[in-house]
Amino acid sequence: MNAIHPTVQVRQLSKNYGSVQALKNVDLSIAAGEYFVLLGPSGGGKTTLLRTIGGFHKPSSGQVWLNGQEVSHLPPDKRPTAMVFQAYALFPHMSVLGNVGYGLSLAKLPKAEVRDKSIAMLEMVGLKGYEDRRPHELSGGQQQRVQLARALVLDRNILLLDEPLAALDAQLRKDMCLELKHLQEKVGITFIHVTHNQEEAMTVADRIALIANGELVEQGAARDIYRTPERRFTASFVGENNLLSGTVASVEGDTVTVQVCGQPLSVDRRDLPVSTGATVALSIRSELVEMVPEDGSASSADGLSLAGTYTESVYLGLTLSHRVALSDGTQIVSRVVGESDAPPPVAGSAARVRWKPGALRLHIN
Amino acid sequence: MDDYANIWLHRAKWAYLLLVVTTLMTPVFYVMYISFNENGFGAAEYVFTTRWYGLIFADAQLMNALRWTMSLAAVTTVLTIPMALLAAKFYKATRAKVPVVFLLLAPLFVAPDILSAALLVFFKNLNFTFRWLGDQLGVSFMDGWAQLGFTTSVIGLIIYTIPYAFVVILITMGRYNKEQTEAARACGATGWRAFWDIEFPQIRPGVFSACAFTVILCFNEYTRTSLLKGGFDTFTTVLVSQMLNSGMSEQSYAMSSFVSFVAIALIGGIIVFTLLRSEAAARRAQPVAEPGTRSTAAA
Ligand SMILES: Nc1ncnc2c1ncn2[C@@H]1O[C@H](COP(=O)(O)OP(=O)(O)O)[C@@H](O)[C@H]1O
Ligand SMILES: [Mg+2]
Repeated sequence: MNAIHPTVQVRQLSKNYGSVQALKNVDLSIAAGEYFVLLGPSGGGKTTLLRTIGGFHKPSSGQVWLNGQEVSHLPPDKRPTAMVFQAYALFPHMSVLGNVGYGLSLAKLPKAEVRDKSIAMLEMVGLKGYEDRRPHELSGGQQQRVQLARALVLDRNILLLDEPLAALDAQLRKDMCLELKHLQEKVGITFIHVTHNQEEAMTVADRIALIANGELVEQGAARDIYRTPERRFTASFVGENNLLSGTVASVEGDTVTVQVCGQPLSVDRRDLPVSTGATVALSIRSELVEMVPEDGSASSADGLSLAGTYTESVYLGLTLSHRVALSDGTQIVSRVVGESDAPPPVAGSAARVRWKPGALRLHIN
Repeated sequence: MDDYANIWLHRAKWAYLLLVVTTLMTPVFYVMYISFNENGFGAAEYVFTTRWYGLIFADAQLMNALRWTMSLAAVTTVLTIPMALLAAKFYKATRAKVPVVFLLLAPLFVAPDILSAALLVFFKNLNFTFRWLGDQLGVSFMDGWAQLGFTTSVIGLIIYTIPYAFVVILITMGRYNKEQTEAARACGATGWRAFWDIEFPQIRPGVFSACAFTVILCFNEYTRTSLLKGGFDTFTTVLVSQMLNSGMSEQSYAMSSFVSFVAIALIGGIIVFTLLRSEAAARRAQPVAEPGTRSTAAA
């Protein structure tokens, strides 16, 4: 492999379905051996992007480069990609072994070799002994394993997965997420995985790209996307962020003061081009917010807290979410781990939400 | 039927169904019954014989007609089925479904005698045009192109059978998931290989049924063939002209029964074959469908 080129490179890619613009000038670059996740709301264009990389349709404009070659004009069978579909893509008239070996027999490998390689791959995905079954005799999770084996046995260096776990139930999805991650580490090829589920994305991804409305909103390491989202949309889609909107009151060096519900908040400017009077968005993850009863000690000027009215608490087992309403009706969630025997405040009582310096993030549109 | 349904209502439905079918088929069964009677229609005494069938098969003119019928059926089937298959594939792929369906089913909406008369006039004009063109150019090879005969009959039969073949194939295709084709492409198959290895085996029962259907339709067809056939005779045209000229003879009964037997055997064969296949599939599924002995964490 040529180390200079990224394994997958998408340049100014657009795709229209009639009047629907499913992708708008997307640029993307994925390195060899990366586990890359395309995350976003459904209808955002993830599948379209993945299928364009796989060659299942032609881009309206732009290019796809795989392993340093322009492949936009090539059909799927001429590309160095393999693919796992959401569900029901196994060949029902063939056995499990027949499914896995199909690509190898197309490549005219000797029968014995096809068989050995297929069995080895089935063993790798944990389906040894299932060779002679038909797809309909397997559970959903097993069927997806067969799809994985069928794709991996081809020995291509890019694997595309379109919502591979979406048809599975929650527990199985969690287990298989980890397995996918381990499998990718073992085979070492590039995985591009499409999902709308952020937990799934966080579990498997080295890097995540957020796709919405046909645009690549933001990309970065999974941890960075979660902890330090650049864009307001990212904050709204990943994790559980509180979103506020306010007006810039002043800009002093690296510190911006934003008025939210008549209360000043200070936030790091992050080199963003903001000016006084502009409308901006603020985000803060719910686990970084602490709720305290309002004791009237008037610490409101510290710029790191907001006064409001306690409304309710929601018990979720592992965590407890307190909700505080601001004067304009915006709900702020404070999420805490662990049990507390202290009785919750009375609904309607005055409360204050506060956080540590640096927890609040500024976004401009 | 569920456990709480009225058993008598259930039986009444069955009785109704049987009554309808028997009423419809009784005349045919009666013809078959007579065709084995030595003394023919209306005789007081019934003596079983296969003599009338023997007469058919000994009759050179009839055997020749039968050969024409079978050739027509074979050629029409060979041409119609791939066309219907292509049409069904196109239908699945296109977004303009209504026009496609309308165009393909249009022959069903036109009465057979009108359609064949129209074709007859069309071929006559075409023939005239070809001859005229040939005369102008001083060549004669085009003279036979639109002459009534085997080719024109086949064209008439294709127009007649293609809607049926299209619908039958389309129904089996409806169950096919096109992601399988994409999966095959991703495995390295060309479009043609993916169709042949993955899609075709799954729609094969529909294609076979469409073949059988087409054969039967050609075999039983009279109107279009008789108008478009030109010089030769088919089994049904002989049968009809016999009935019109000399009324029903014992031999006509045998011929009618023979045509029905062929149709029933073909359809029955398909039904039995389909039932056996699905039963075999169910039997194969059972023993292995038990949970595996190894870790079922994935199950
Ligand atoms: N074959 C198609 N024809 C027309 N519109 C399509 C087609 N496939 C997708 N779209 C549209 O393109 C947009 C992106 O779809 P898709 O890529 O499937 O999104 P995602 O996978 O993120 O849910 C959606 O608005 C969808 O309706
Ligand atoms: Mg999708």
